[in-house]
Amino acid sequence: MNNDLVIKNLHVEVDGQEILKGIDLTVEQGKIHAIMGPNGSGKSTLAYTLAGHPRYEVTEGEVWYKGQNVLDLEPDERARLGLFLAFQYPVAVAGVSVANFLRAAINAHRAEEGVDPRKTAIPVAEFRKKLRERLQLLNMDESFARRYLNEGFSGGEKKRLEILQMAMLEPSMAVMDETDSGLDIDALRIVANGINSIKEQRPEMGILLITHYQRLLNYIKPDVVHVLMDGRIVREGGPELALELEEKGYDWIREEVIGHAS
Amino acid sequence: MTTPAKDLEFDYSKYGFRDEERYVYKSQKGLSPEVVKQISHMKGEPEWMLKRRLKALEIFQKKPLPLQGMWANPSLANLNFDEIYYYIRPDEKKSRSWDDVPESIRQTFEKLGIPEAERKFLAGVGAQYESEVVYHSLREEWEKLGVIFLDTDTGLKEYPELFKEYFGTVVPAADNKFAALNTAVWSGGSFIYVPKGVKVDIPLQAYFRINAENMGQFERTLIIVEEGAEVHYIEGCLPEGELVSLGDEMVPIESVAPGTLALNSDGYLAPVVSARRRSYRGDLVRIVPLSPGNAFELTPEHPVWALRRGRVARPRADRPATQWDIADARFTDAEPEWVPAGELEPGDLICFPVAVRSLDHPEISDDLLRFLGYYLAEGSAFRNGVSNAPTVSISLDSRDSTTIADVRALMTRLAGKPAGVYEVPAKHEARVYVYSAELLEIAQQYCGVGSATKRLHPHLMELPPERQRLLLETYLTGDGSRHTRSNGRTLVRAATVSRTLAFQLQEILARLGIYAGILVRKAGSESMPDGRVVRRCEQYVLHYEDGATVRRVRFDARRNCFWVPVRAVARRPYEGWVYNLEMASAPNAYLARGFAVHNCTAPIYSTNSLHSAVVEIIVKKGAKCRYTTIQNWANNIYNLVTKRAVAYEEATMEWIDGNIGSRLTMKYPSVYLMGRGARGEVLSVAYAGRGQHQDAGAKMIHAAPDTTSRITNKSVSKDGGRTTYRGLAKVQPGATNAKINVVCDALILDEQSASDTIPFIEVEEHDATLAHEATVGKIGEDQLFYLMSRGLSEAEALSMIVLGFMEPFTRELPMEYAVELNRLIHLEMEGSVG
Repeated sequence: MNNDLVIKNLHVEVDGQEILKGIDLTVEQGKIHAIMGPNGSGKSTLAYTLAGHPRYEVTEGEVWYKGQNVLDLEPDERARLGLFLAFQYPVAVAGVSVANFLRAAINAHRAEEGVDPRKTAIPVAEFRKKLRERLQLLNMDESFARRYLNEGFSGGEKKRLEILQMAMLEPSMAVMDETDSGLDIDALRIVANGINSIKEQRPEMGILLITHYQRLLNYIKPDVVHVLMDGRIVREGGPELALELEEKGYDWIREEVIGHAS
Repeated sequence: MTTPAKDLEFDYSKYGFRDEERYVYKSQKGLSPEVVKQISHMKGEPEWMLKRRLKALEIFQKKPLPLQGMWANPSLANLNFDEIYYYIRPDEKKSRSWDDVPESIRQTFEKLGIPEAERKFLAGVGAQYESEVVYHSLREEWEKLGVIFLDTDTGLKEYPELFKEYFGTVVPAADNKFAALNTAVWSGGSFIYVPKGVKVDIPLQAYFRINAENMGQFERTLIIVEEGAEVHYIEGCLPEGELVSLGDEMVPIESVAPGTLALNSDGYLAPVVSARRRSYRGDLVRIVPLSPGNAFELTPEHPVWALRRGRVARPRADRPATQWDIADARFTDAEPEWVPAGELEPGDLICFPVAVRSLDHPEISDDLLRFLGYYLAEGSAFRNGVSNAPTVSISLDSRDSTTIADVRALMTRLAGKPAGVYEVPAKHEARVYVYSAELLEIAQQYCGVGSATKRLHPHLMELPPERQRLLLETYLTGDGSRHTRSNGRTLVRAATVSRTLAFQLQEILARLGIYAGILVRKAGSESMPDGRVVRRCEQYVLHYEDGATVRRVRFDARRNCFWVPVRAVARRPYEGWVYNLEMASAPNAYLARGFAVHNCTAPIYSTNSLHSAVVEIIVKKGAKCRYTTIQNWANNIYNLVTKRAVAYEEATMEWIDGNIGSRLTMKYPSVYLMGRGARGEVLSVAYAGRGQHQDAGAKMIHAAPDTTSRITNKSVSKDGGRTTYRGLAKVQPGATNAKINVVCDALILDEQSASDTIPFIEVEEHDATLAHEATVGKIGEDQLFYLMSRGLSEAEALSMIVLGFMEPFTRELPMEYAVELNRLIHLEMEGSVG
């Protein structure tokens, strides 16, 4: 079975303004794809649209994953299909502990129609063991699991929690929205190492890395780099494309694109 | 085998009437001096109390309704005072039986299916859950310390001096219309007296003295905490439905969500379409079958699958006059019928179906099954306190070398490393142990942790009976529970403190063709021959005679069930929720504690009624009192309660107050801070759903210097519900250096719902410190989306956010109440309850 994520001619509006103007993109199973682009090019819009945020209105196009058009699914159904979004700005939920939340999320993934949820719930020992292991993987103290979801978290802690969730939920396709933003160099290394070890353990997982800067790609090697500009993919290449962007900035591509267009 | 379809076509209309209520005495409708005199007379009260009542009645009749015109839809004007019965004396003796303790208190954690270790880990509580086990013996200790804990009627009889001194001093009849009404017609409630310096460290809960008048309409509670004493009182108890079989275990009916598979009366698993609750006032019928551990309660009209005694009994001429017996021929021909619970009589046979399920799990080896049997009986799995090594250990009789060798070989094979034996010669005990993280996890996963929460994993319950027998055999070996009787038969008995396990074993035995009874052995202390006193938890004793049938219990091969005689039928008055399951397919019947009952077709009543209680608390110098309530009254109840405390020098009074049910609640717990350094706190939550108005708040009166008060109010409104915070913080002249902190947070879940905040602050001293904070919020799209993007459904995400919002309140509750509150909120969010 082909588990690529296939985006076809995706048009998205926010508050009546078109942001994505026909994206065609395939994220292959087991591969790491990076999307780079300047501010305002539509990177986060793409991430939110894939996860199903109600504010993003799809006016045209399809997104296929595991034989389903995910645009027909609710956000929770997409998650249970194996899609995961690591948020750029994770949301705080007071009074809900990280551990309780993770357990509920894992059980939601394990639930089956018409089966008593207690039968499919993750066994206690297994959950604890898994949580302990994954916390260690991300250099996080066990007390982290008792804190409230993103409440009073530093920028670095929020990003680590996103990766912890990814490690616990074991998605088959992860979209990571500017996971490097707001991280200092040490935190970036920890987060990147975490992502790499998850990827090592689950080589079949596809990753779509959305980033503004090339620095994350020093730690996580993409197989393919796409450049997003003004709501369209304007260029694709290997890892060397990222380095080129780092060196020259985005302007030269913009000029080339406009040049091609004119 | 399934029941023939024709048996299901019974006359529904037959159940559409309400049973006659049975009361010894019922006052006339409406209020008059005669009614009040009659009440006082029935109770045998002293003259002065009658005078108080009559005076209060006069005040009631003169006072206007409070806050007229200030409510949303459920206006107080709808209340007709002439349509109310003011005193009903129920047809039952007061009892203090442990049987009356709500199951929720005993087995809260079981309900959640969360074993001990995780509970601690997730909830960060540790100490609380053990408390329940020792409640019983502690009560005796309190009595030794001079703590008085009675219902208020008895309190007045036994301690008239205390009543003369304190009754009505905190809440005088003239305080408000409903305080006057309560003083005129009060009945029931709690009376607590804690002597000087005595600290009651475990909460006193109303169910200790459960009796017919506990849940009365006009309760009166009086609490006196003497100097330096401490007490925590928990009011009322949460309504709980009967246990139903899900195939692998029994769970309270109200926790059954639509879509859950439950065992039907044919012994098959079928999906539940809906779990309904309705408010109910009237009798509950308690059916006690031959096995008292399986006793269950129903409303009188609820149909039970039964063979009437008269249809199957041997004719009188053929048997001794004092005994009756089943005539086999009549039994074979008799057709069962659905009999309303209220019509059942002792001797009628009721149906205990045998589960028809069999699914092998090859990964569960025969070795493992035999090991788990031993583990269930005598095993423990833990981390060694010193080395932290994962340890699995089975305690055996050191003289039983055969069993020791068997267990040792099993554990060695399963753990893949040699098991050791540690002898404790003084106790004739040999512990077979192995250090193995794997075996520890396996034992915990399949059988739970700790003796009280031991249970069989669903996969074990599904195994073919012949495989289950392996586990059962070693379970019974380990327990040393076989006794040979003088008649040569072997009596098998096994005791466990896990209720879940007892029912599970009963079900497995039924599949093996054995009907085992369950006896409940009360908790208590036992004196050992060597002088030690051993405290024992409540135990469930499973018992049967090998190879013999229990007299008058019949296996019915055609219907694959046991027919078990009813031993006793009792009634008790009840007010609260009752529950009912609707099954997806015929037969529309499920199992209450193992016995077949039909989906209930009772009518739903919609009369409004009134609950108007008064609580008075006196907290003396340096003393501390906490009062916790969660009310979940039916949605046709007007809940108008006056709660007030006075706190003297350096005393602390805390009200923890949750309002989930009722049509209209008006309740403003207050603290009068009368002595220097006194502290008052009100921490409350309110939930208002369709047609509900929660008008709740707090009053803090600072009447002395250096006094502190804190008010935290959290409210949630949904489906057109309305919440109001109404508060007063007052600093009187002379109350210098007062500190007041008020926080009100409201969450409004949809456009139809509303919330108001009405804070009054009156300060007559210049140096008071005052902080007031109020927020009104809606659940953000982004919060919902974030949780849903992790796979939670919208309802799950919503309840998670609401529960998180209420968490500052919930964490102050005893664990079992926190769990119950969470469950209620969860149900409200799912909208599965009408």
